[in-house]
Amino acid sequence: MAREPILVVLFLRGGADGLGLVCPSSDENLIAARPESLRVLRKGDGEGRAIAQDIADVDFRFHPNLAPFADLYEAGDLSMIHASGLTEATRSHFDAEARMERGLFGKDLPPGDPSGWIGRWLAAAKPQGPMPALAVGTAQPASLLGSDAAVSESLGDLMVASGHWLAPALRARLAAGFGQHGPLAAPLQGLLQLSDMIGQRLWSETDQALLSYSPSVEYPENPLTPSLMTVAQAIKQDMGLRVATVDFASWDTHVAQAGDFSELTNWLASSVMAFWRDLGVLQQDVSLVVMSEFGRRLRSNSAGGTDHGRGNVMFVLGPQARGGRMLGHWPGLQNEALEEGADLAVVTDYRTVLAELLKGHMGLDNPEQVFPGFAASPLGLWG
Amino acid sequence: MLTRRQFHQRLIAGLAAASLPLPSHGAANPDTAVELYLNRLSFGVRPQDRATVHDPLQWLEDQLAMPASDPALDALLAEARLRITYEAERDENGNNWSAKDELRPLAALGADPAEYLYCIDWDKGIAYAERARPAHETIAASMIRAVHAPAQLREVMTQFWHDHFNVNSTKDEYCAAFFPSYDAMLRENAFGNFRVLLGEVARAPAMLYYLNNADSKASPANENFARELLELHTLGAGNYLNDRYDDWQSVPKGADGMAEGYMDLDVYEVARAFTGWSVGDGRYISEGVTAPKTGRFTYIEAWHDPYQKRILGVEFLPNRAPMADGDDVLDMLARHPGTARFVCTKLARRFLSDTPPDAVIDHLATVFRSAVDAPDQMTQVIRALVNHPAFAAIPPGKIRRPFEFLVGLYRATGAQITGTESGQQWVLMKAGWRQHEYGPPTGHPDVLAAWTGASALNRIVDFAMYAHDDWFAVATLDRRPQPGEQLGTYMSRWSNRFGVPDLTDLITEFDGDPATPMTDFTEEEVNGLANAAIGFSALRPAFMLR
Repeated sequence: MAREPILVVLFLRGGADGLGLVCPSSDENLIAARPESLRVLRKGDGEGRAIAQDIADVDFRFHPNLAPFADLYEAGDLSMIHASGLTEATRSHFDAEARMERGLFGKDLPPGDPSGWIGRWLAAAKPQGPMPALAVGTAQPASLLGSDAAVSESLGDLMVASGHWLAPALRARLAAGFGQHGPLAAPLQGLLQLSDMIGQRLWSETDQALLSYSPSVEYPENPLTPSLMTVAQAIKQDMGLRVATVDFASWDTHVAQAGDFSELTNWLASSVMAFWRDLGVLQQDVSLVVMSEFGRRLRSNSAGGTDHGRGNVMFVLGPQARGGRMLGHWPGLQNEALEEGADLAVVTDYRTVLAELLKGHMGLDNPEQVFPGFAASPLGLWG
Repeated sequence: MLTRRQFHQRLIAGLAAASLPLPSHGAANPDTAVELYLNRLSFGVRPQDRATVHDPLQWLEDQLAMPASDPALDALLAEARLRITYEAERDENGNNWSAKDELRPLAALGADPAEYLYCIDWDKGIAYAERARPAHETIAASMIRAVHAPAQLREVMTQFWHDHFNVNSTKDEYCAAFFPSYDAMLRENAFGNFRVLLGEVARAPAMLYYLNNADSKASPANENFARELLELHTLGAGNYLNDRYDDWQSVPKGADGMAEGYMDLDVYEVARAFTGWSVGDGRYISEGVTAPKTGRFTYIEAWHDPYQKRILGVEFLPNRAPMADGDDVLDMLARHPGTARFVCTKLARRFLSDTPPDAVIDHLATVFRSAVDAPDQMTQVIRALVNHPAFAAIPPGKIRRPFEFLVGLYRATGAQITGTESGQQWVLMKAGWRQHEYGPPTGHPDVLAAWTGASALNRIVDFAMYAHDDWFAVATLDRRPQPGEQLGTYMSRWSNRFGVPDLTDLITEFDGDPATPMTDFTEEEVNGLANAAIGFSALRPAFMLR
């Protein structure tokens, strides 16, 4: 059965070091600005897989721990857009995340509208189904503002009073006690419907507990895995999911970056790969985009870390996209090409990528409904 | 003054109370007027209010007369302890600190902000939890105040202004360090003059950092504060006329010196007017010159753009007195009819209805404008709203948002908030509420539809059913049965607190016998029964809507 397309947005919170993820390893400016531990090397212990690409005469290499991404790239499922991000300069986490997730700023901002870009997509596309959007985590990200997206760490969180000794009595009262037309009647019906659906599929009466999810592959144990397993479970349960957001924190590597970054990249690549394999044939319905609020400074600091920068790399995973390519262009790292003489410049607006995902993958005719006033020139991810 | 209908309702309620063997905690059939007024104007009616409040309009006057500080509440806040916990670490300057896990008083509340400049001293090796501590203490205190403050209306208004003049207290360490003084300022001015409040907000370090005005200098000025000042604090988005007119002369009344609305041109000029409005945080100004270390507003003349400006059609001459540009902008905005309507619409939406009638807004806007110079301007507006016939006539239709639901629940049950952990912030976040940590400058939305998503509603259900199990170590409630109490009377003792006469139907449904002595149950079972009684009483339209 053909299903409707699904978008998974994986946000690396804290500003991931794009120059360390997809590294212009041969660039002499990079070599001069960073110690070996904060670069990908072309041979030896820290050697990363070389990337076949045609955007620049530079030896781009994946971080060694992103080997699974290299596999996906070589299989034609993964694309990268480097030097992308917010065109409006800010190096504040809060500002950058808020602007990026709202997907609007400055003159484009409809006054008084606190909506996020996914919230506007939901308003425009009006997907049906009990759970069109799911934010995996404890708080709704700003991208989902203006929507009724479910926010939960696991699907069990959406069951009404699960396991409570009076759950049936409570459900009956919530279903009947709010009138036919009271303002809370319809929302409560929606909650109960979703709760019942999860209950029927995932609740074990004998154990009085949620059935634990049995993925079709083994996932690595790390902080990202539970979130991606929840998304995979929701996709497989066919609950009408269209957009899921997943946050992955701790990328703000000001101090002693090499060790932390090595661990983070390992978690990122191994969990995403497990998620992807777990989806099996459902891969054809899914695109996953990896983004972060900004990249990090070209020059490392005295604490072995990097400070807030600007341009970054975005990843798009999905068989429907024309993968195995780097898209956009590469501004270079020579001094005059850097933003404010310090950071990789932003030459591709991140909305270009998202707009193309919404149009090419999600089938939204006019991405301007989501990014008003923004006319994207497609990179060629689709078509 | 009571209406005939209210009198009749009271009579009926009185009869019912007299004829039924009800426990001492309040009548089972509540006075609907007291219920309606107090649920709209406070964080929720308490059982004792039903017994003691008879004239809601007199209650309103008493509330409006209460000062911002109360000795009993201050004592509660002084007793409160909030945990601080962090790991041993080393920062980028090589400073080390050791791990901490301790309960500490809320020392930043009411303290001189100058004492908290260490939070933004980057040479000092301290953990993030220490730098953000002033914000965390204010957040913890907000729950204690909301539940226990006798001056309820002032607390509700303080929360209203927090959303109107939103600052995310943990946007960064700067906002965090100066958030207690921001909260205190809003509370102090909650019932006062709007222009005075606006001036305090524009000079508040937390706001100056949050909307980047602290760094705004000529040229180019940072437009962030200017835009939100017009769009969210005063004229409102409805008066943003950029798409409708090509130039300022075309805006109605623009050429007469008070344009009906604003354009981007006005935003740019307002931004110039506020250049140099900054914070006394010891910042570098120029060679050998730094700002004072006061933790308060400071004006940096050297950063101000002194040249002529034109704002809403009004010409500003060059080289005027310090801060005259900004203060004159605030004067214009506070007197603008658009501001009166915008602020009064939000106020009516807060207290009355998601869609307040035009007649109410018109009336309030008239009062707002006629009292524009009065020190009790907002008092007059609130009084006008509550005395308007629509106030009693419009049935409850406002949803209790997550924070309000949780606070209202604790007020109804009589739980004590001690605030030892900040865990309530996490459970509220799961419902979409970020007390003093809302990111966008719009503040929390104030319409029902924003809070009825499946997961937000399900967290409300969780609050009702489990909040008294103290799963985040904030509230304590004595649930022990009284001597001789039986299941039926025990359950109704809790349900009465919500105005629900009894829970006989529920007891029947789980095959319980109302006559069972409570001594038959274990402590755990007793607590479960109390939680169920509370949850089933709260998850009704009468409690969820106000």
